[in-house]
Amino acid sequence: MAEPSLVFTDVNERQGMFTRRVFLMGGFVAFGMFALTGRLAHLQILQGSKYSKLAAANQFNFRLIPPPRGNIYDRNGKLIAGNRPSFRVMIETNEVKNIDDTLDEVSYVLPQTLSSRRRILRDINQNQRSVPTVIASDLSWEDFSHVSLYANDIPGIVADMDEVRAYYYGGAFSHVVGYVSKISQRDLTDETGVSQTDFNLLHHPSFRIGKQGIEKAFDKDLRGTPGGRKVEVDSRGKVVADDEEGNIAPVPGKDIVLTLDADIQSRAVEVFGQESGSAVMMDVRTGEVLCMTSSPGFDPNLFVSGISSKAYKLLADYDHIPLLDKALSSTFPPGSTFKTMVALAALENGYDPNTIHVCNRHWPWGGRVWGCDDAHGALNLHQAIVTSCDIYFYQCALSVGPDKIAAMARKFGLGDIFDIGISGQKAGIVPDSAWKKKYFAKRNPANTKWFPGETPSMGIGQGYTNLNPLQLCVMVARLANGRKALTPQLVKSVGGVDRVVKEFPDLPADPAHIDFVRAAMADVVTSGTAARTGKLDLGPIMMAGKTGTAQAYDYKGGRGAHGAVGDWKLRDHAWFVAFAPADAPRFAMSVLVQHGGFGAASAAPKAREIMRLALLKDPETQKRIVSINPADLVDKPLPADTSTDGIPPNGNPDVVPSPAATGHKSV
Amino acid sequence: MVDSALSRPGQRERYDSKLAQIDWVFVGLLATLTGIGILLLYSVGGMKWEPWAFKQLVTFCACMAFMLLLALVDLRVWLMGAYWFYGASLLLLVAVEAVGDVRMGAQRWLSVGGFGFQPSEFMKLAIVLALARFYHECSAKDANWSWKLLIPAAMIGVPAVLVMHQPDLGTAVLISLTGLAVMILAGLNWKVIAAGAAAAAVAIPLAFEFVLHEYQRQRILTFLNPEEDPSGSGYHILQSKIAMGSGGLLGKGLGLGSQSQLNFLPEKHTDFIMAAVCEELGFAGGFMIFLLYGAIILMALRMASLSHSHFGRLAAAGATATFALYVLINGAMVMGLFPVVGVPMPLVSYGGSAMLMVMTGFGLVLGVKVHRYQELPRQASIFQRFE
Repeated sequence: MAEPSLVFTDVNERQGMFTRRVFLMGGFVAFGMFALTGRLAHLQILQGSKYSKLAAANQFNFRLIPPPRGNIYDRNGKLIAGNRPSFRVMIETNEVKNIDDTLDEVSYVLPQTLSSRRRILRDINQNQRSVPTVIASDLSWEDFSHVSLYANDIPGIVADMDEVRAYYYGGAFSHVVGYVSKISQRDLTDETGVSQTDFNLLHHPSFRIGKQGIEKAFDKDLRGTPGGRKVEVDSRGKVVADDEEGNIAPVPGKDIVLTLDADIQSRAVEVFGQESGSAVMMDVRTGEVLCMTSSPGFDPNLFVSGISSKAYKLLADYDHIPLLDKALSSTFPPGSTFKTMVALAALENGYDPNTIHVCNRHWPWGGRVWGCDDAHGALNLHQAIVTSCDIYFYQCALSVGPDKIAAMARKFGLGDIFDIGISGQKAGIVPDSAWKKKYFAKRNPANTKWFPGETPSMGIGQGYTNLNPLQLCVMVARLANGRKALTPQLVKSVGGVDRVVKEFPDLPADPAHIDFVRAAMADVVTSGTAARTGKLDLGPIMMAGKTGTAQAYDYKGGRGAHGAVGDWKLRDHAWFVAFAPADAPRFAMSVLVQHGGFGAASAAPKAREIMRLALLKDPETQKRIVSINPADLVDKPLPADTSTDGIPPNGNPDVVPSPAATGHKSV
Repeated sequence: MVDSALSRPGQRERYDSKLAQIDWVFVGLLATLTGIGILLLYSVGGMKWEPWAFKQLVTFCACMAFMLLLALVDLRVWLMGAYWFYGASLLLLVAVEAVGDVRMGAQRWLSVGGFGFQPSEFMKLAIVLALARFYHECSAKDANWSWKLLIPAAMIGVPAVLVMHQPDLGTAVLISLTGLAVMILAGLNWKVIAAGAAAAAVAIPLAFEFVLHEYQRQRILTFLNPEEDPSGSGYHILQSKIAMGSGGLLGKGLGLGSQSQLNFLPEKHTDFIMAAVCEELGFAGGFMIFLLYGAIILMALRMASLSHSHFGRLAAAGATATFALYVLINGAMVMGLFPVVGVPMPLVSYGGSAMLMVMTGFGLVLGVKVHRYQELPRQASIFQRFE
């Protein structure tokens, strides 16, 4: 095609200028295109891998998969705390345009969400926008299938399955195992220096943190390591697709095996019913704690998904204080159970066990009259323990002195805090002159000297003496063992690794003296204060023990009547410490019934029930029971003297009140 | 028979020979480019014809018919209508100032019977036609440097200021640059160009400080350092660069671009469609598109240079310059070489009115080629009757 334009036309100045300029412009455009192509090559070929990574970081995201919490087992592998499935419905806040409208739609399917609307809205406001908020959990299968059918039609509503902590024994382990609950602001501030993964886990809506007992103490072990679900997201963070090959599996939390025996623990809780108190049992060979209860308990399952304020108020306001761990966190005067220590201290310091004191109910000393429950007559040390004579022990304690008694008590674990893995133990008080000096130095400098009048009270486990049930169990376990200073063990293994038990040190007491006390404790059950209520009825297998009835003190009401009468809050605390079998000890235990009245009437029967179960479960003892020839049981003479029982014969103890209000009575 | 300068005049006026004179290779390139654009709109629309691809196809077909129709229009009609078109566009811009709709913080739109349009779009073509007519009647000496150049300067300045006031920085810059391109093509003195460039170098920082709106300033600051605020203003540029860079040599494949499919890429169907192209089709696809643009622009410039009339030459080259500026500015913008100014990629980006103006411009270019032998009188008047 011939194009004669430049050749044949009139080449004027304007056209020449245009032609030159349009060539320049063409060149400029070509240069521009070349530059853009160069930039494109730079971005796509040279920096391609860098931007590919950035694009992948945009496209893929890891959604946290919370790890299953470790299980907690008893010594026989029974599951105490595990995880159960829970069907739940959640709202993805950042995918919902109008939260109220969406909740209205949900309430057509799940009418119960209407009543909890305020709670849901509060949770939505508190949560980060990127995490979903639970609308309803623990749905029945019918409700869940109903919701899942419609959930797809409501944008932003997710119905799925979650794992929820479950405590299969209800309230039986509520204090020792504890419970988990939603993480609080204070928990978050306590968690310092956490990694990003842990931070995300802590803020995950289904995460629960241990609040008490084993759950709290071993929280980090039980938690596990979260995994990640690799997902493809769009620019608003909405999940578009799953990338299952990229998932990281969560590492479940470590399982914990306790030394507790679920059967014995449950029996102890049953025996207490709604009475307030605690039972602790230990194996006298290994120090393993077989049972540690605090009654009344509470259902820890209530706390997992958040207890209602109404239900919490019921627990908090109940005067039996179900939320308090009475085995560890509460101390009580030990009453006459402390006489075992007084007797041992006396013997160790050269006291002649044949020393006779006469009890005729009243003993004037130091300008006042000290009382006793009964007129026991002339007694030696053995008989004084068996009958739990206060007047004998006033004088025995005076002859030994408080410092030596306290030293002996401390050797047997009283006033001690044990490394059992869980916190919350209260040391209590084992008083002596050094303690008093220190204790009152600031509080009341005029009262720092130990007065001799304080020693008789200490001799019967009253006065300043304050101990927790675990300490008394350790005391009786050491007495029963007789050789080693056992320490209680609560955790057998964590994540399959056995907990190292330190070699027990020797008991710094003459075995002969310990045998003396043990023999007296055996007679407490055969013929002493617990003769009616402390028999095991397992043939030759007998329990040995010591009753205690400790005066309670209330700041408002002062002191109440002796025994199980009058205002509950003013009644005496009932104690029974025991070990069995009396001839070859296997188990030791302490039972406290708060405001239970007489130790023999209230605490000893409970100890007997619990001890029976422990002995019947023990193969060694079982063998002994089976090997009994029934013929041997016939014609066996009854123990000669059963009248010196802990319960006064007429049931209404005619106690002459001490002239001074500081007088103590103990049985 | 092939028409040429030697053909008899009557024969050249016949529509069948005019149709034969249309550069069909050029039309084919336009269709190829728009076709790739529609393919990408189909892809970023989630591999669906709705909401963009089908509409774009329909618009393109209508615009194509309109362009071919315009190619047959006598150049004297363009010449006669140039000032009227310019005047009407200017009046509409003033009307926008008075009664325009405010959309997204800017007063750019006029509504007539429920149908909204932006008068500034018309001005892009009107300024080319008006300047072409002015220089058509102007001597080479005057075009080089004289007081008469105040007239084209005012013709550019008035609409540029009006558009700037809407505010629409991108279009104002485009109108100014287009006008400037026509002035340079017409033969503006190089010394004046150099002096103007120097003056601009001084004026731009001052304008930045005192004339620009806050959001415009922010855009430019963001351009200078996009990584500073990746989730805020720098987001557009950063995501666009990520989209292009991650495409690599051959791309991720149609419908498989994570950045565009998952909405990380903003304005993926309009201003940033080139990023989606480069992500899904890779460097190969991007290079292909720039090659097509280069070919289209150079062919259009050649068609302009064929014209026997100064008006035809300048009008066709001016319309091509607008197109070239669109391509260069948008290309530089999506690659992070130029601030985000809201300039679409012509023919590829989704949008009816931009497509209409571009195709109208190419209708003019094709018309100039078809009527390249036509001589136009120096002193044209609307009262002068056609021969």
